[in-house]
Amino acid sequence: MAPANKKLILGPISPAAPGTLYQQIVDGLKREVSEGRLKPGASLPSFRQLAEDLLVSVITVKRAYEELEREGIIYRRQGLGTFVADLGHDRSREAKLNVAQELFREAAQEAAEAGLKQSEILELAQKIIKGK
Amino acid sequence: MNNAIEIRGLVKNYPAFKLGPLDLTVPRGAIYGLIGPNGAGKTTAIDLIFGMGKTDGGEIRVLGLNHQRAEVQIKQRAAYVSPDLNFMVWGKVGKAIRFVRGFYPNWDDAYCATLMKAFGLSDTDKIATLSFGAKMKLSLLLALARRPEILILDEPTTGLDPVSKQQVFAELLKAVEDGERTVLISSHSLSDIERFADHVGMIKNGKLLLEGRMDEVVDRFRMAEFFSENKTPFHNRDGFIVLKRNENRWHALVDQKTSGQDWLQTRGAENISLTRLTLEDLFVALVKEEEVK
Repeated sequence: MAPANKKLILGPISPAAPGTLYQQIVDGLKREVSEGRLKPGASLPSFRQLAEDLLVSVITVKRAYEELEREGIIYRRQGLGTFVADLGHDRSREAKLNVAQELFREAAQEAAEAGLKQSEILELAQKIIKGK
Repeated sequence: MNNAIEIRGLVKNYPAFKLGPLDLTVPRGAIYGLIGPNGAGKTTAIDLIFGMGKTDGGEIRVLGLNHQRAEVQIKQRAAYVSPDLNFMVWGKVGKAIRFVRGFYPNWDDAYCATLMKAFGLSDTDKIATLSFGAKMKLSLLLALARRPEILILDEPTTGLDPVSKQQVFAELLKAVEDGERTVLISSHSLSDIERFADHVGMIKNGKLLLEGRMDEVVDRFRMAEFFSENKTPFHNRDGFIVLKRNENRWHALVDQKTSGQDWLQTRGAENISLTRLTLEDLFVALVKEEEVK
């Protein structure tokens, strides 16, 4: 077996944070990949190691890995382990863009329902991007 | 053999309580949370697995072995931890460890030492003066250091503070790390079970209500809020439990497999909002149902 990357550090996983625990792991790993801390080909810890590390059930980590695999961000090799895909960086960025788009759409709708005009919505978005 | 424990049609009759017919399937390598209200039959089921008491029907297979015919083998390969275990007679922690280790060829001294450190126990601690939580940890240590293939824990975190609880679950996750060992845990700390257990079985009145992968079980249900002008169109049925009703505003637990958004809409529900549940919410909703009827 290839030595697993034990240096993997994810943000704290908590039921108090938004999203389910498995979603938080998915997002955390995507962040590591999209920000380049996990490079293509890098090996990931086993389900069970990561579960121990994050203090969550094995099934939670398994589900997160399955989702990342479906999205093409990581891949598994029987008996060897789990690795970041070559396209992982792009895919992860793409996935993030999709999420951002969806959130913007939702935000725009909420703002419109609150009675904001298009110009006011853009103003609000600019304010937020500039950190108020 | 992919299941560590298989219970099929288990029945046990008491004058005031009937367990079963109960089916349980505990997959190998998993942490399995057995949950249910007080008096549901959790401890009865666990005791029967260990040959404490005779069954009145059905079969229990542990590691593929019949629980009665292979009792000795099973007891060597499986360990049991309960808050009722009492090690006081040995006086000191070290003496209890030396006594217990003699029975088990797989006893792991190095692991035992690691656990002592993790649980803050020492050889010279007097068992009688240990706190309740420390006694529980000792009991768990004596079971874990045997390196059992199956570890069965009855309410192991009752009375433990949050830090101790986390230490216990961290050790359980380590115990299943090789994918060969299995943990069956009965507990009322549902937020812990939801976080740490891979599989869950919920029993009530001696029967299995639900069983499966934790994420799938929790994902299947939603708390629904909706409005309906019809006077009495919604009754409890399989996968739909009314929790509260205030005129035309309803709260219900819905099983998305049978009673999701589409079903509610065809029944004339409006402004439907569905919310995810925690295992605890689900438990409360399912257990309360009985009381409403």
